[in-house]
Amino acid sequence: MLRKENKVIEDVSAKFKIAGNVQRERRVWVTIDKDNLVALCSFLKGLGFEHLSAISVTDWPQEGTFELTYHLWSYSEKILLTVKTKLDRANPCVDSVISVWRENAQIHERELHELFGVKFEGNGDLTPLFLEGWDGPPPFRKDFNWREYARQQHYDKSNERERAYYD
Amino acid sequence: MNEKELITIEHIEPIMPEDTDYNFYFGPAHSGSGNFGVKLRLEGEMVKSARADPGYLHRGFEKLMEYRVPMQNAVLSDRICVFEALNWNLVHAEAVDELTGVEVPQRARYIRVLMAELSRLQSHLIWYGVMSLGLGFDTGFKVAFGYRDYILDLFELITGGRVYPAGYICPGGVRRDLPDGSENKIRRVLDQIEEMTHKMQDFDNIAFSKRMKGVGILKTEDAIRLGATGPVLRACGVKTDVRKDDPYEIYNELDFDIPVREEGDAYARYLIMGSEMEESIKIIKQVLERIPKGKVREPAKITPPSRVKLPEGEVYVRNEIARGEGCAYMRSVGGKEPYRVKIRGPDFLHMIPVLEHLLKGVQIADIPAIYWSLNICPADMDR
Repeated sequence: MLRKENKVIEDVSAKFKIAGNVQRERRVWVTIDKDNLVALCSFLKGLGFEHLSAISVTDWPQEGTFELTYHLWSYSEKILLTVKTKLDRANPCVDSVISVWRENAQIHERELHELFGVKFEGNGDLTPLFLEGWDGPPPFRKDFNWREYARQQHYDKSNERERAYYD
Repeated sequence: MNEKELITIEHIEPIMPEDTDYNFYFGPAHSGSGNFGVKLRLEGEMVKSARADPGYLHRGFEKLMEYRVPMQNAVLSDRICVFEALNWNLVHAEAVDELTGVEVPQRARYIRVLMAELSRLQSHLIWYGVMSLGLGFDTGFKVAFGYRDYILDLFELITGGRVYPAGYICPGGVRRDLPDGSENKIRRVLDQIEEMTHKMQDFDNIAFSKRMKGVGILKTEDAIRLGATGPVLRACGVKTDVRKDDPYEIYNELDFDIPVREEGDAYARYLIMGSEMEESIKIIKQVLERIPKGKVREPAKITPPSRVKLPEGEVYVRNEIARGEGCAYMRSVGGKEPYRVKIRGPDFLHMIPVLEHLLKGVQIADIPAIYWSLNICPADMDR
């Protein structure tokens, strides 16, 4: 049981001196510092993790960090491996992985740049994807007060019917 | 990394007087295309470059879910994709179940698979319908939507909603048991859908296949690089299916095949659709034969949502939905609401990198065949 999952962790820790854990069958998690991220990703692609399923950002304002998670699937090994890395929230810069997963990574990074304001160095096209004419802060950050934003943009305090939104 | 390695997609350039190139807008007015547009740069009749223009359906579900408890999110998850609300219900419910560690009753698992496969069938009928419409075969559109209505009647009977089931597949199981006599009704509807698959083969005439054969060819290595999944990837010769490779619910107990084609063109994707419908019918028949008795939800007694807390942890759930790989990453810090939800829809990749890649260098007349053969849904791309 979990033989191939442990094998992946062994391979990774032999090369990068990092620990990982097996959550359950077919689910493996590893954490790495951001400087070695691209090296780890290209190593993993060589192991068969050809499919970048998704990239996600979790915002931790109290800690002052952003946590990036890269979810990779291997068609040959049938394992989902998640790579986690942390960035400084004040200066959220990370090397892009488009050299590894090309257009697939490009579009995920473009989305996260728009919604979280994370800068992916080396990605040539980070133009906004969904929001048009947006001038506020990146909207998916935890400290973005969307209720207040909606009140200011869409409701009029002097209008009797909309005053309830201010109480 | 040097400049050459950067991937940049050219912006649509302004029209110059001496230029014969011009800009062409496909969408975003909803003419069956969905609320989505593609900006094309044309030279004569040939597409030089294409740039997707998403965002018309961006509703910010990931953010909305951070402010709601799982039972509310179950209802919200309907709306991620109009065409397969029940499949997205299942993705959400599985993420919560894995976090809470609840043992979902066996009968509920069977009902979940039954509903997910019915949802796949009606989604493929929509696919067939809009594809026929795009190719100018209006009869196919009307017939397919007519047959889809039989499945919607079943949804109304079982969930109460025709298109949106209002979170029927909820954390812990399903909201309520199948009503009396529904199994016979499902069998009758399956016969009708089987009739439709025969009709699809009869409709497959020269006019239909000539428009699609050899059009929009996606090579295997391109498909993997661009992040294609589901039927689009299987039409390029990759035998993969989340239901087999990363089984969830009761799929590992069921007997079904993964249809694969080697050609990678629009016609191959269309043939995959037909075969997948037959496989879904097979799955539903097995589910109806084996469905056990018992309760359909754990815990059966409803606790007020304000008292339920999500245990700390993080999960990544993968499902095979009709369009490809539907995933959710859910992170909880022990509060009532999830701390972060990331939804990964298959069309985010199919409609931006894959579509832009396939449209490059084709004739205007081939755009509809390529566009609709990808089984697109702007709703799960924008989220």
